[in-house]
Amino acid sequence: MNSFVIAAIVMLLAAVPCGIVVVRGTTMDAVVAYEAVSSIVFMVLVLLAEGFRRSGEFELPVHLAVLLFGSGLVFVRFLERWL
Amino acid sequence: MTAQGIVADVLLGLAAAVVLVSSAGILAMRDAYQRLHYVAPIAVVAPVIVALAVLVQSGWTENSGETWLALLFMVIGGPFLAHATIRAARTREKGDWRPASGRPGTGRGRPQVRPPERQQPGHPAGDRDG
Repeated sequence: MNSFVIAAIVMLLAAVPCGIVVVRGTTMDAVVAYEAVSSIVFMVLVLLAEGFRRSGEFELPVHLAVLLFGSGLVFVRFLERWL
Repeated sequence: MTAQGIVADVLLGLAAAVVLVSSAGILAMRDAYQRLHYVAPIAVVAPVIVALAVLVQSGWTENSGETWLALLFMVIGGPFLAHATIRAARTREKGDWRPASGRPGTGRGRPQVRPPERQQPGHPAGDRDG
């Protein structure tokens, strides 16, 4: 277990407070926490790919970075207009 | 441990600290406006530090290139997403994202409607041609 994997585990632990906000906060609080969790998962994917030396898995964070932007916009526009 | 490893470890520790503190800030703040301030370090600052750590560890390789490509998407999309989130929060709270126009009782920020022009006597509407 190298430092990249340890950093990934620490960042996953940092997602726990955001999960608490998702569960207990209002709808907009949950959206903000969701955006934070998505960014944390992006970094975890990069760190695990580097930590386990799997170059093929570096494509996952690229896709997630693109989808994170689109999904976040879909969420906030939906909340703004209909909920 | 090489110098590259030490630098990468320091960068990873810094990124983890940024994420931990920002995550605690998201939990501690009161509303979505305040919480969104703590998303920016997680969405922009920490990924930059992680990408630097990958770059230091493995050099300019395909892995670091893909990491920086993903970081580019994050850096470009982050401010737009934060703006859209704030706009949605304000719209849900106030009914409109624009500031209030100053008219009493509105509070919706709608642009002021100009009063209809008063018609001159002897010139009914639609009688411009004489």
